[in-house]
Amino acid sequence: MIRTLIIDDEPNARRELEKLLNKTGRFNIVGQCGNAVEGVKAINKERPDVIFLDIQMPVIGGFEMLSMIDREIMPQVVFVTAYDEFAIRAFEEKTLDYLLKPVRLERLEMTLEKLQQQIQTEVHPEYETERLTRIPCVKGGNIKLIAPEAVEYAFTDQSGAHLMVDGEVFNTDLTLKALEERSELIRCHRKCLVNIHKVDQIIPGESGTADIKTVSGFTVPVSRRHLKDLKRLVGI
Amino acid sequence: MQLIFSLIQQMSVFMVIAYLFTKSPAFKPLTGESISRQQKIILYFVFTAFSIMGTYFGMPVSDAIANTRAIGAVLAGLIGGPVLGGAVGFTAGLHRYSLGGFTAFSCSISTTVEGLIGGLFHLYLMRQSGVRDLFNPRIALLATFIAESLQMMIILLLAKPYSEAWSLVKVIAVPMTLANSIGAALFISIMRDQKRMVDNVGAIFSAKALKVAEKTLGILDHGFNSETASRLVDIIQKETGVGAVSITDCEKVLAFSGIGADHHAGKPLTSNYALQAISQRKVFYADGVHEPFKCPHSSTCPLGSALVVPLIADKDVLGTIILFEPKTKLFLKNNRSLGEGLASLLSEQLLRSRFEDQKSMLTRSELKLVQAQVNPHFLFNTLNTVIAIIEQDALRAKDLLFHLSNFFRKNLKRENDLATLAEEMDHVNSYLTIERARFEDRLVVETDIDPQLLEVQMPTFTLQPIIENAIKHGIANMFGPGIILVRAEREEDLIRITIEDNAGTYCRKLEGGGLGMNLVDKRIKNLYGDQFGVSAHCVEGEKTQISITLPEGGRK
Repeated sequence: MIRTLIIDDEPNARRELEKLLNKTGRFNIVGQCGNAVEGVKAINKERPDVIFLDIQMPVIGGFEMLSMIDREIMPQVVFVTAYDEFAIRAFEEKTLDYLLKPVRLERLEMTLEKLQQQIQTEVHPEYETERLTRIPCVKGGNIKLIAPEAVEYAFTDQSGAHLMVDGEVFNTDLTLKALEERSELIRCHRKCLVNIHKVDQIIPGESGTADIKTVSGFTVPVSRRHLKDLKRLVGI
Repeated sequence: MQLIFSLIQQMSVFMVIAYLFTKSPAFKPLTGESISRQQKIILYFVFTAFSIMGTYFGMPVSDAIANTRAIGAVLAGLIGGPVLGGAVGFTAGLHRYSLGGFTAFSCSISTTVEGLIGGLFHLYLMRQSGVRDLFNPRIALLATFIAESLQMMIILLLAKPYSEAWSLVKVIAVPMTLANSIGAALFISIMRDQKRMVDNVGAIFSAKALKVAEKTLGILDHGFNSETASRLVDIIQKETGVGAVSITDCEKVLAFSGIGADHHAGKPLTSNYALQAISQRKVFYADGVHEPFKCPHSSTCPLGSALVVPLIADKDVLGTIILFEPKTKLFLKNNRSLGEGLASLLSEQLLRSRFEDQKSMLTRSELKLVQAQVNPHFLFNTLNTVIAIIEQDALRAKDLLFHLSNFFRKNLKRENDLATLAEEMDHVNSYLTIERARFEDRLVVETDIDPQLLEVQMPTFTLQPIIENAIKHGIANMFGPGIILVRAEREEDLIRITIEDNAGTYCRKLEGGGLGMNLVDKRIKNLYGDQFGVSAHCVEGEKTQISITLPEGGRK
């Protein structure tokens, strides 16, 4: 069974697709999401084999959502769209397949064939994705979009990934890996990324580690592994 | 004593000539407000002639001439200023000098001085009260009196021998001063009366033209056709009193009023004048004297003269207006300029009504475009929704199709201009029901409409584009549940309909205009006036509020 996630903002469309997928008997639907933020969260959690992704969704569309997922867990992507067959053809190469709404069962079975071949290779697909221009964050139940340039540093703890922006901490469903891959935030520690433009000074510590002092006076740890690269980046 | 009578006789002859002068074209410069250089030259010859005539009409008195030469010189100065006065005086003086006698030199000097004195009065009056007082007989009397007194003094000073000069002045001083002063005053008064008459005729014609303009205003807003043309020709013929008036388009007579209406009305254009006026965009004039108007339709037509003026709007000749007079009457020059004025007035009105036409055509086609734009996406989404639910909930799918059908039926029927709020809400309601099926819990619609306002009228397709914007650019672009609030309320002397969403996501698009809202605004303003229409208030990320204002009762 193929572990499947449906991401579409229209409930009727999700139900319709769910029904079709079930008819083939080959898909195991592990979740359904109504927007991109929920989608990222579910992908990180469920690690599905394939996502059926709507292109037109509120605020963050399907293409942009892909840039929020780290490459290691990138599922196979089947775009589903109501319009713009021509626009989607430009991305044909970059996805496994695309389906036009309303989806017909015969067409879905073709997708299934392609999918089975891909999954057998056990290689994660390498989709070309855009750089991140905004990071969806949750604060007090509201979703806020933050520009990567505004982030001072990012870190993870048991509760997930967080961003430090203007002295405030925001939670995000994106992984540090995704942020590292698609933004200018630099890895300085297993659990930390830092914005190189917000570094005030690097203070050497014990046994090849160091501490970064950010422009706002926060301390960010630097592990021995990343110190060299960091120094090279700041030109020391 | 005999001298006085003789001078009065002279003066009378003078007055007759003066009267004839005021009827001649040479008088024309004096009917205007100011006199050009060229006109001054004409006046120079005219007044010099008067002055020299005064010398010739004079009576020989002991080797000198008792005369009315002063009138021409003083009046030239008074009317035309010191330069003209001096020039006339000098020329007439030179002429007098050539005749000889012991006062020849003194008289030639004094005539020049008299012209200059008239000029001084001119300067003073122009500074005090302008051109009006130049034609005041009392002032002419005073000016000539002073000038003649001065002349006597100059004769006494310059003429030799003094004893003879003295005895001459004793005889001529009183009669000449009186005759010249009174003569100048009468002359001026004749000129003033003539000038007033010309002014009055001008005023009567201006009043006529204004009256026609006022009465014809707006008629052409109803189009350029035989109905509006016949209203126009009736008014123009009645107000101007010309024999007949006709308005044509480029092919036929649209309307004809007056003499000869029996055989002109509705005929195709065949006269050379009309056809040439149209093809050459020129005024054609058959004055009836040099060039008689020949009626192309009837050999017994009583019309003898015609003025054909093309009606031109935006570079296109749309037709002509023709003024006729019967053979028994002269075509007045004033009627000619009136006719040309009327044509330009009508052309102006045609241009405006054309512009209005194009504007409303544009609005109509824009509306069509918006209607056409909305449909494919909406239809497409709706069909997909129906496909998605038809298996599990056939009744609901059927209900949605009913709403879709209603929505399109309303769209199709929206050709006529007005709809009530109830009709608009019915249209919008079908739309919203379908969109709710698509968005489910992401779309909440609340309405708060004063039931008394349901009959309020507005242009069709007013609410739908705004609601559609709220969904397409608002609710569809937010994560959380979207709420659309439709409210209609009375507010002092107007009615306000508010459409509010809680997304606040299209502030910038609103600033950029478009979104079909300009069209809604334009149509309301066209219908009800500029104080009504659509306004937007947007708080980024919070809400967008579109407010439609209509007049109380929804009608003008």
